[in-house]
Amino acid sequence: MAKRVLLVDDDADFLEIHKTILESGGYEVDTAATGQEALEKIRSRRYDLLIADLIMEELDAGFSLVYAVREEEKTRDLPILMLTSAEERTGFRFQLDKDKEWMKVDDFAAKPLSPAELLKRAAKLTENR
Amino acid sequence: MPKILIVDDEQVIRSGCRQILEMNGYQAEEAADGREGLRKLAAEEYDVVLTDILMPEMDGMQLLEEASKLGKDVVFIVITGYATLESAINAGRRGAFDYLPKPFNADELIAKVERALEHRNNLIELRRLREERDRNLLECSNERARTLTIINSMSEGVVAVNRKRQIVLINPAAAKLLRFDDKHVIGMLIEDTIQNPELREIICQSLENVAKTQSFKRLEFTTSWNRTLEAGITPISDEKGEAIGAVAVLSDVTEEKKIEKIKSDFVSYVAHELKAPLGAIEGYLNLIIEGITAGNPEKEREMILKSRDRARGLIALINDLLDLSRIDRKRALKEMGPVDLKDLLQETLDFYRLRAENKSLRLGFAAEADLPPIRGNREDLSRLFANLISNAIKYTPDGGEVKVDLRRTNDHVCVSVSDTGIGISEEAQKYIFDEFYRAPNALAKKITGTGLGLAIAKKIAEDHHGNIRVESRENAGSTFRVFLPVLDRYAAPLANSGHA
Repeated sequence: MAKRVLLVDDDADFLEIHKTILESGGYEVDTAATGQEALEKIRSRRYDLLIADLIMEELDAGFSLVYAVREEEKTRDLPILMLTSAEERTGFRFQLDKDKEWMKVDDFAAKPLSPAELLKRAAKLTENR
Repeated sequence: MPKILIVDDEQVIRSGCRQILEMNGYQAEEAADGREGLRKLAAEEYDVVLTDILMPEMDGMQLLEEASKLGKDVVFIVITGYATLESAINAGRRGAFDYLPKPFNADELIAKVERALEHRNNLIELRRLREERDRNLLECSNERARTLTIINSMSEGVVAVNRKRQIVLINPAAAKLLRFDDKHVIGMLIEDTIQNPELREIICQSLENVAKTQSFKRLEFTTSWNRTLEAGITPISDEKGEAIGAVAVLSDVTEEKKIEKIKSDFVSYVAHELKAPLGAIEGYLNLIIEGITAGNPEKEREMILKSRDRARGLIALINDLLDLSRIDRKRALKEMGPVDLKDLLQETLDFYRLRAENKSLRLGFAAEADLPPIRGNREDLSRLFANLISNAIKYTPDGGEVKVDLRRTNDHVCVSVSDTGIGISEEAQKYIFDEFYRAPNALAKKITGTGLGLAIAKKIAEDHHGNIRVESRENAGSTFRVFLPVLDRYAAPLANSGHA
C-alpha cells in the first residue's frame, strides 16, 4: 500500500520537481497550488504526509494552512514538512527545537532540497503511518 | 625720563624743587598757581605733580578735583605747610597719593617722588592689566554669544545637565524634539522634564564614575508620540576626572528608519524572488543528474525547457531591477530633451509587432497631428511604453486587440494603451503599481512576470512630472493612461523649432 503525499506550493516547477522525486520513491502524490485547494483535498481523502511551502500567494498562507489542518479532528496527526526559500524574509530561524511548538509542524527544510534529502525526510515522517 | 610738574605760588619753593629734581635726573616744570597747573596738565603728560594747597586763583584741592576729571594717570604729592593729619586725609580723599610737609629737604623730596613714580608705574600696570582683563571679558562674552548662537541654530538638539541632574542648557531643536518649552526647563531636574526613561537612565549613567567610564554612549529610542530619536551622550568631566555634567546631542531619525526598513524589505524580497527560480533550476538539474527521469527522455526535455524559462524569467527580473536602480539615480544626471512621442511610440510598436502577430492580436495606433514634443529622457520613456505595450500583449488572449492612442489634453499629452485582455480586479488595482505585486488572476493563469514592470512605469512617469492611471474590470480589458506635461518652450511643433 503506497503512502500518499499532498504537495502544496504556488510555484508550479517545485510541484513538478518534488512530485517527480516522491513518485520515484514509491509515493502516490497529489498537488495543490493554494492553501484553500490543499484544505479541500485533505478533507476529502486521507494523506500520510503534507509537504507545504511557507509562502504561497501571501506571507502567511503556509501558516494558516498548517493551523487549519491542526484544528480538524481528522487531520490533527497528519505529519507536516514545511518548506521555504525565504528564511530571511520571515525572521524565523526554522529550527525545530525553537519553532516547532508554535508552528505546529514536524520538520522544516530550505528549498531546494536534493532528491535524496527529500526522500529521507519523507520516509522518516511517514514511517509510523 | 620722568616729568614732574611743580605747582606753587612761592617762587623759591618752585625753583628749589626744580633744581633738586633736575640734579637727580628728572625733568621738571613749574606752574605759579592751580589754574596754570591745570592748563599744563591738560596739555602735556606728567608723571608726578607736586602741588601746594594754599594758592590764589585755584588752590591745590580744586586742582586735584579738576585734574581727576582729565582721567590721566598722574600721581599727586601735596606740599603742605600744616603738617596735620587732617589736611593729608583731605588731600588723600581728593585723590592725592602722598603729602610732603614743609619744610622738607632734598632727600625727603626725592624719596617721596620716587615712591610716587613707583606708584604711578603700578597704576599704569594695573590699568594695562585691567584693560587686558576687560578685553578678555569682552572676547569671552563675544565667544559665549557666538557659541550660543551656533548651538541655538543647530538642527540637532543639544541638552546639557549638571552633576545635580539639572538642565543647564537646551537649544530650541532639543526643546522641539523632546517637546518642552525651553524657557522653563533650565534648572529643572531631568526626572521632571525628560519623559523617556531610557534617556534619563543613560544620562544618569554618564554622570556616575566618569573616571572609569570616559565614554560616549549612544541610544536610540522611540518617544511616546512615535518619533525615533537618536541620542549621543558624552560626560563632561573636570581635570580630576570627576563628572561635572553631561551633554546629549539628539537627532530625529524617524525618516531614516523608515527608509532603512523599506530598503531591507526590498532586499529580502528581491533575494526571495531571485532564489525561487534558481532553486527550481537546481531542482530540475538534480532530477536529471541523479537519473530520476532517465527512463523518460520526453520528460527530461520538458524539464530542461522549464529550466530555461525560469532562467529567462530571472534575467528579465534582473533587467527590471537594473532599470529600477537606473531610474532611481539622480534625475540631474539624466539627459532631458525634447522627445517626439509619436516617433517613439511607433518605434516601440514596431518592436512588439511580431509578438502580437504570434498571438493573432490586432495592434492599432492613432496619434493627433502636430503634437508638441515633451521634455524627457528618451530611454526612460521608451521603457515606460514598452512595459505598457508588452503587458497589454501578454495579458490579452489570442485574437484580441491592443490599441495605442496619443492626444493632447490641455497642458498634458496623454498616451493610452488599451487591451481586450483579462483585466484587473478593483482590489488588485490598488496594488498594481507596487513593486513585486502580481494580480491573482495573472498568477492563476500562470502568466509569467517580475511584478516590477508597472512599478517602473510609474516611477518614470512621476520622474517626468506626469502620472499614470489604470481603468479596468476583470475579464473586460484594461486601459493604462500616461499623462506627461507639455512644456511651453517646446510648445511649438518640432518642425518650427529654430524659428522662434
